[in-house]
Amino acid sequence: MKTVFDTGNAAITEAAILAGLKFYSGYPITPATEIAENMSRRLPMAGGYYLQAEDETAAFHMAIGASLGGLRAMTSTSGPGYVLYADPYGWAIGSEIPVVILNAQRVGPVSGITGAPGQGEFYLSRYPTHGGNFETIVLAPDGVKEAFEMTIQAFRLSERFRTPVTILADQLVTDGWEAFQIPQDSYELEALGLPLPKRAVHWGPDFYPRSDDIDIPPVVLGRGTGGACSDWTPTEEGYDTEEIEAQMKHSYRLIYKIRNNRKLIDRSLLTGMEDDPPVVMVSYGSPSRVVRRAVKAARALGIRVGAISLKSLWPFQDDLFDQNRIHLVVELNHDGQLVREVQRASGGRVHFLGRCGELPTVTELLEIVRALFGGGRPRGIKNVREAW
Amino acid sequence: MTFRLEVLISGFGGQGVVLAGRALGLAAVHGGLESTMLVSHGTETRGGYVRSQVVISDEEIDSPVVEKADIFLALSQAAYDRFKHLAKNGLTLYESDLVVAKEDLTRQLAIPARKLAIEELGTELAANMIAMGQIARHLDVMPFAALQKAVAELSKRGAETNLAALGLGFNLELV
Repeated sequence: MKTVFDTGNAAITEAAILAGLKFYSGYPITPATEIAENMSRRLPMAGGYYLQAEDETAAFHMAIGASLGGLRAMTSTSGPGYVLYADPYGWAIGSEIPVVILNAQRVGPVSGITGAPGQGEFYLSRYPTHGGNFETIVLAPDGVKEAFEMTIQAFRLSERFRTPVTILADQLVTDGWEAFQIPQDSYELEALGLPLPKRAVHWGPDFYPRSDDIDIPPVVLGRGTGGACSDWTPTEEGYDTEEIEAQMKHSYRLIYKIRNNRKLIDRSLLTGMEDDPPVVMVSYGSPSRVVRRAVKAARALGIRVGAISLKSLWPFQDDLFDQNRIHLVVELNHDGQLVREVQRASGGRVHFLGRCGELPTVTELLEIVRALFGGGRPRGIKNVREAW
Repeated sequence: MTFRLEVLISGFGGQGVVLAGRALGLAAVHGGLESTMLVSHGTETRGGYVRSQVVISDEEIDSPVVEKADIFLALSQAAYDRFKHLAKNGLTLYESDLVVAKEDLTRQLAIPARKLAIEELGTELAANMIAMGQIARHLDVMPFAALQKAVAELSKRGAETNLAALGLGFNLELV
């Protein structure tokens, strides 16, 4: 193991290369530019291809093409580029093409603020393309170390489930610096619990099975596989069809291969939940680190508060929530996105602290928690609202 | 006994605020510790405000945010005015050439880093490393050698000057 002090963007690059990435295409954008920059230097050294595309739509399509050619592929961007991913997302989801996507969320809407963190693509990452009839897999790292691990895991999941896996990071994760370890060989990689088998090839003839099975090798075009794929509903052989029943079976597969195997995806960190605290803070990404510090500070004062840090966002982990607790959702936007999902899943009382461009502080989280404990409603405290 | 050390470094673009933070973070790695750094800045390349928030600990770091700085290095008046409230219980070091201190901080020391850099090393660029040397003097969580090693690694050129500056700052007794 080699310990370094570097950014999330550097960690993501190195992790992807360790995971066997052979094709990266992207369009530089703050705060993910350094991924493209690092890839342009590092990937050719590792026997891979780096391609700067004319825009994000093309970048993602190129990654899809590389994946269909049998290479591990990835693209990365931030909000303004993420919206341009809509069309290729549909291709990758519908034709079951493994690819890893990283979104370093910044402040929006549109160009917003470049060098500051936001969390505005929570729902967009669930519905990144039109048409419905699918589930998505979305992971959310809270810092550099976790971004490193999750990048490797994302490649594994994308191949096991044959679907794009999105890493929903934020500016503080990608631009932030942290000490982290880089495994030097496959043994050290396995020691971290991150084994990655060789990429498999599907030899047909049923390239698109009518089941919820996972661990089916990805479709590779050419190489004599006989594989076929397009943007239309596929038959089992991968040819186009407009049969309603075939479409229903294909949709079932896209939805239930993920829902029925979600144990492989679900991930969260519970802090201070052992004594079933009456107030629980919920967050993901970089705010969750401040939230965990606030739990520690509150506990030191004898306040029974806990925290749920979500590490995977979609499929949403309804089971973590309970209507008998008061939930305080902390996220980096003013409109409240995660808060809606927590409200739906818990069916109980949910409060919302929205920030954007900067993290909340431990001091203000303590103030809100105290107000919630007093049975009161934290009105009058800046940026705190009751969920709608 | 676990510890958490928060260091805030702020000034304007071009003063080496980020490099100073990187050196501290890497030094912590060399000292076998955990470290994080958040960098924020204006959109300008030079002249805008820059801030490095460094956290060092002997255990996993939760929040990377500096809310109660143990050490605050202010390299500009704007930085001093904007962040001094975060260092009420810590030690503030301010660049005496560029900052007029207010009386409301209990522990603060003026450091003539810029003046020393020009007089002793012939370049203003070494001021940040003189200040870092002084910070190291107040740190007991890692050996000075760890910071020296980090600075040597991060100095693409001028490693000699940077190390000399670091030593100068370390041996500087401020009152």
